[in-house]
Amino acid sequence: MKTRLGTISYFLKGCKRYFALAIVFVFLQVIFDLVNPKIMGYTVDYIIDDISQTPKFIIDFANNLGGRDYIMSHLWIVALAVVIIGVLSAISRYAFRMFNSLGGENLARRMRNTLFEHILKLPYKWQDINKTGDIIQRCTSDVDMIRNFIQEQLVNLCRMIATILLALYFMLRVNVILTLCACFFILVVVVYSLIFHGKVGEKFEKVDAEEGRLSSTAQENLAGVRVVRAFGREMYERKRFEEKNEVYIGHWIQMMSILAKFWTISDFVKNAQMITILALGSYLTVNDYMTAGQFVSFIAYNLMIIQPIMELGRVISDMSKSGVSIDRLNYIIKSEIELDSEDSVEFPDYGDIEFQNVSFAYDAKNVLENVNMTIKKGQTIGILGGTGSGKSTLMLLLDGLYNPSEGRITINGVDISKIKRRSLRSHIGFVLQEPYLFSRSLKNNIKIASDNASDADIDEVVETACLKQSINKFKEGFETYVGEKGVTLSGGQKQRAAIAQMLIRKPEIMIFDDSLSAVDSKTDAAIRKGLKKASKDATVIIISHRITTIMGADNIYVFDGGKIKETGNHETLIKNNGIYSKIYELQRSVQEEE
Amino acid sequence: MENKEKQVKLPLFGLPKLWPYVRKYKTRFIWMIIAGLIYSVFDAIYPLFNRYAINHFIGDKTLDTIWFFIAAYLVITALQCATNYINVMLCAKLELYMDRDLRNNAFAHLQQVSLSYFNSHNVGYIHARVMSDTGKIGELVSWQIMDVVWWGSYLLFGIIVMMIIDVRLAIYLLVMLPIATLVIVIFNKKLLIHNRQVRELNSQITSDINEGITGVKSIKSLAIEEKINDEFHVDTDKMYKKSVKTNHHSALFVSIMTLISTMSLALVLWKGGNLTYEGLVEIGTLSIFMSYALGMLEPIQFIVNTVTRMISVGVNIERYLELMGTTGEVFDKPEVIEKYGDSFNPKYESFEELVGDVEFKDVTFKYPDGEEIILDHFNLKVNKGQSVAIVGETGAGKSTLVNLVCRFFEPTKGEVLIDGRPANDRSLKWLHSNIGYVLQTPYLFSGSVRDNLKYGKEDATDDEILSALKTVGADKMLDKLDHGLDTELGEGGDFLSTGEKQILSIARALLSDPRILILDEATSSVDSVTEHAVQEAIEALTSDRTSFIIAHRLSTVVGADTILVVSDGKIVERGNHRELMKAKGEYYSLYMRQFEELETWKSANG
Repeated sequence: MKTRLGTISYFLKGCKRYFALAIVFVFLQVIFDLVNPKIMGYTVDYIIDDISQTPKFIIDFANNLGGRDYIMSHLWIVALAVVIIGVLSAISRYAFRMFNSLGGENLARRMRNTLFEHILKLPYKWQDINKTGDIIQRCTSDVDMIRNFIQEQLVNLCRMIATILLALYFMLRVNVILTLCACFFILVVVVYSLIFHGKVGEKFEKVDAEEGRLSSTAQENLAGVRVVRAFGREMYERKRFEEKNEVYIGHWIQMMSILAKFWTISDFVKNAQMITILALGSYLTVNDYMTAGQFVSFIAYNLMIIQPIMELGRVISDMSKSGVSIDRLNYIIKSEIELDSEDSVEFPDYGDIEFQNVSFAYDAKNVLENVNMTIKKGQTIGILGGTGSGKSTLMLLLDGLYNPSEGRITINGVDISKIKRRSLRSHIGFVLQEPYLFSRSLKNNIKIASDNASDADIDEVVETACLKQSINKFKEGFETYVGEKGVTLSGGQKQRAAIAQMLIRKPEIMIFDDSLSAVDSKTDAAIRKGLKKASKDATVIIISHRITTIMGADNIYVFDGGKIKETGNHETLIKNNGIYSKIYELQRSVQEEE
Repeated sequence: MENKEKQVKLPLFGLPKLWPYVRKYKTRFIWMIIAGLIYSVFDAIYPLFNRYAINHFIGDKTLDTIWFFIAAYLVITALQCATNYINVMLCAKLELYMDRDLRNNAFAHLQQVSLSYFNSHNVGYIHARVMSDTGKIGELVSWQIMDVVWWGSYLLFGIIVMMIIDVRLAIYLLVMLPIATLVIVIFNKKLLIHNRQVRELNSQITSDINEGITGVKSIKSLAIEEKINDEFHVDTDKMYKKSVKTNHHSALFVSIMTLISTMSLALVLWKGGNLTYEGLVEIGTLSIFMSYALGMLEPIQFIVNTVTRMISVGVNIERYLELMGTTGEVFDKPEVIEKYGDSFNPKYESFEELVGDVEFKDVTFKYPDGEEIILDHFNLKVNKGQSVAIVGETGAGKSTLVNLVCRFFEPTKGEVLIDGRPANDRSLKWLHSNIGYVLQTPYLFSGSVRDNLKYGKEDATDDEILSALKTVGADKMLDKLDHGLDTELGEGGDFLSTGEKQILSIARALLSDPRILILDEATSSVDSVTEHAVQEAIEALTSDRTSFIIAHRLSTVVGADTILVVSDGKIVERGNHRELMKAKGEYYSLYMRQFEELETWKSANG
C-alpha cells in the first residue's frame, strides 16, 4: 500500500495544486447548490404564512425589507437571489471542472512521459521477456484508469461526501427522526452495491477475456485468409467463430441479467426510501413537528443525496481496480534501467575486436559457449550457422544489447562493458534480421540516426544500399510514408532502407545479421561491392545462410550449437571438409547437375 | 490515420437499411418499446404523489388516506421495477443478438468474399468492421433507441401532466426549453469535433508507444532513444493542450445548462409564488413545478447526446453495409452452386477427381485495383505432374499466375482451364480442396502443432501427421518442442522461427495430398542444411503433382519443366533451364550472377 501511495504521489507532482483548487471549488459549488432549496423552503413558508420554524435572521431580514406583504409582492427579489446563487454555482462548477481537467491531463502526461522514458531506458532483455501487448496496455488503459480514478472518482468522491454530509446536516436541523430514517436506507444501498460491484467485477473480467478470444479468432482468420481458402476450411472457421461468438454473448447475457437485477432492486430501495420519507414527513408535518416549507426543502435535500449514494458503491469498487493498475505501472517503473557504470568511457580509438571466452546463457540454457574470436580492424568477417546456433546472439552481445554471462568482449583492448552504451552503439552499425522502420517518411527513416544529414549524404547511402531505383519508382519518392513498421514496403526494400539508415552514421563497425536475405543475389552482390567502396576501413561482420554472400570474407566462422566449429577463409574451410564445405556443396550442387 | 472518422448522413440514421437484421426480433423490439413507454409514464407520475402529499396531508392537515397513499405508491413502484427489469433484459438481449448476427454474417461473408478485397483493405480495417461496427450498430438499435423513447416520453408526459395541472405555470417553464435546446445543439457540435481530435491524438500516442516497444532493438542499436523520447513529448503535449481545450468547452456547457435550470426554477418561484399567494395555485402544485423545473433539462441533454451519437453511428452502418455488399469478382455461378454446393455446404458427391492439367488460354489480366496489364494474351499448358517455376527479381509480381490458378482472381479476358474445362465451371470449393498452398509468409493458427497440421486434413491420424513431418525433416524439430504435437503455438505461430513455420506449413500441405501444389518462396528462410532436406521432400512431393513454384533462389527451380522469368510484372522469358541458359537472356544473367563469385573462386583454384 505504501508503494502505491508513493507512486501516486510521485506522479501527482505538479498537479496537486490543481486538484486542491478543484476540491475547493467543488465544495463551493455544493454549498451554493444547497442554498437554493433553503430559499425555496423559506419562500414557501412565507407564502402559506407559517414561519414558526424559520430561523430568526431570516425573519429579521424579511422584516427589514418590509415584512411578508412586501416580499410577496416583490417575489422577483427572491427569484433574483436564486439566479445569483445559480450564477455563483455555475462559476464554481466551471472552475472546478477546469482545475480538475488541468490536474488530470497533467497527471496523464506525466505518467505517459515517465513510463515511455523509462521503457526506452530499460535493457533490451526486459523487452524480450515482457509481452508487447501487455506493456502497451499498461501504458494506455492503466494510465487512463488511474487518471480517471483521480480526476473523476476521487474528486467525485469528495463532492459526494461533501454533498451527503452537508445535506445530512441540513436535514438533521429539520428533523432528526426523518434523517435517521433516510440514513438507514443509505446504509442498505451502500452495503448492497459494494457487494454487488465486487461480484460484477469478476464477471466483467470473464466477458473481457471472452471478447479477446473472439477478437483474436477473427484476427487470425483474416490474416490467414489465403490459408483458409487454399485448404477449403471456410465452414470450419465459420463454426469456430460462431461457437466463440455464442459463448461470448452468453456471458454478456448473464452479466446483463445480474446488472438488471441490481438496477431493479436499487430502484426499488430508492423508491421505498422516498415513500417512507414522504409518508413519515407528512405525519410529522401534520402533527406540527415541522413546517410545510421544511418538509419541501427536506424532500429537495433527500433528492440531492440519492444519486451520490447510489454511486458510492461503484466508486469504492473502482478504487480497488485502480490499485491494481498502480501495481501494474509500478512493475514497469521499478524495473531496473540500463546504466553505464561509473567509470565508463567514450568509444575508444577503434581497433581490433576481441571475444575472450564469451559464454551466454538465456533461461538457464547455454546459447553461446566459450567463444574466442579476434577480428582485426578493417576486416570483413563472415558467419555461417544454422537456426539457433547462437550467431545472432553473439552480435547482440557485441552491440551491448545483452551482456555476456562469462568472458568479455574488447574493442582496442577496452572492455565494452566499460564503454558508454550510447557511444558504443553509435559506433556500431547493426542491421537487424527483421528490419524495423518507423512510421514516417522514407527520408526521415533514413536520417533518423543523424538529424543533420544533408541530401547529398542521403543520396550517397541510398546509392550504396541499392535503394535508389525503388525510390524512383515510388510516386512520392523520398517522401513516401512507410506505414507502421514499414508495412508499405516489401521485405527487400525494408532491408535496404535499414542498411541506408545504418550507413548514414558512417559507423566503424558494421553488422549485417542475415540482412540481405530478402534481396536477390544480384542486389546482394551490388550492395556488398558498394559497402567496400564506401568505407574501406570499416570492419564488416556478415551473417548469412548464403555461401556466396560470405565466401569473399577475410575470415569465416561456422557456428553450431553455440560454439565455433570451423574457422578460416573460404579456401581453407573447403579443404577442411567440414560443415562449411558440406553446405557449400549443397548450394553448389545445382550447378554440378549441368 | 487512414480510418479518419467522417460524418455520413443516412436517412433516419440508416435504420431502414438495418431492417433485414432487426426483422427477426420484431416482436421483441415492439415489446421493448412498449415496456419503455410504460416505465416513463410511471416516472412522470411520481411528482404527483409529492403534490398530493403536500396539498392533502399538509394543506388539509389530515392523514386520512395515508395508508392508501403508501399502498398505491408501493404498487406503482413494484410495477415500475418489474417493467424496468423486463425492459432492460429485452433491450440487452436485442443488442446482443443483433451483435451476434451481424458479426456472424460479416464473418461468413468474409469467408466467401474474393481475395482482392483483402488486397485493397488491410486486416485491421476489416477486423474493425467485424468486431466494432457491429457492436455500435447493436447499441444503436437497442439502447440508443430506448434512450430516446425513455427520455422523450418522460419529457412528453411531464409536459402533459404540467399542462393538465396548470397551463400558466407550464408555459413559463416551456419558454426555457427552446433556449436550452439551442445551447445543447451548439455545444454538442463543438464537443463532437473536439472529442474526435482527442481520439485521433490518443491513437497517435498509442502507436508511439507501440513503436517504442516493438522497435526497441532498432532504437537501441541506432542509439536514438533521446530523439524518440523527445518526439513522444511533443505528442503528449499536443494531447494535453487539446484535452484541456475540450474540457473548457464541456465545463462551460455544463455550467450554462445548470444556470438555465436555476433560471427556470427562479421563474417558477417568482410567478408561481405570486399565483399561490393570491390563492390561484395550490402550494403542492408550486412544489411539483419546482421539481419539474429542475428535472426537465436532464432529459433534453440525454436526448440530444443520444441523437448525436446515433448520427455518428451512420459511418459504422455504412462501412458495415459496404462490406456486406462486396461480392468481389470471384464467385461461383448459380448453376455451379446448384451442382457443387457453396463453400459452406459443398456437395462432395458431385466433385469429380482432379487430374491436374492446367491451361492458360489467351489470358489477359490486370488487377482490379490496378491499371497495368500484367498478362497480355498469355498461353501456357501444364500437363498433369509437370512443374512450372516462376523466377524474377524481388517484388516483380511473381504471384499473379498462382493467383489465377487458385482462382483468387479471375482473368480479365480469356480463361484458365483445369482438366480441359473452364475453371469456373466447377466450384471454388472443389478447386481449393485439390490445391496445396505453401505461403511466402507461412501462416499458422493458434492451437497445437497437431491442430495446425490437421488443417490440411481434418481426419489425419497421429501416424499420418508424424510421417508427414518426417518427410519434410521436421521430426527433429518436434523433439525440441516441450509437448511434441500438443505444443501450443502462439498467435501466428510466433513461438517458432520463420524457417520452422515454413517447414510446418509444407508438412500441412503434404498432409492434404493435393493434386496441384503451390510453393510461394516456401523455403526462403530455411537454412541450407534444412533447405536441402526440404528440397528433397519437395521433389518427392512434386513428382506426381502439378506444381507451381515461385522462388528467387534459382537452386530451387533448375529441375522445373517450365521456367517463366518475370520482370516488372511481365513474363519476359519461358522455357526449361537448358533452353533458357542457351538463350543467354535474362535468366542466364540472373543465373550467372548468382554463381558468379562461385565461378571466380573455381577458376582461381584451377
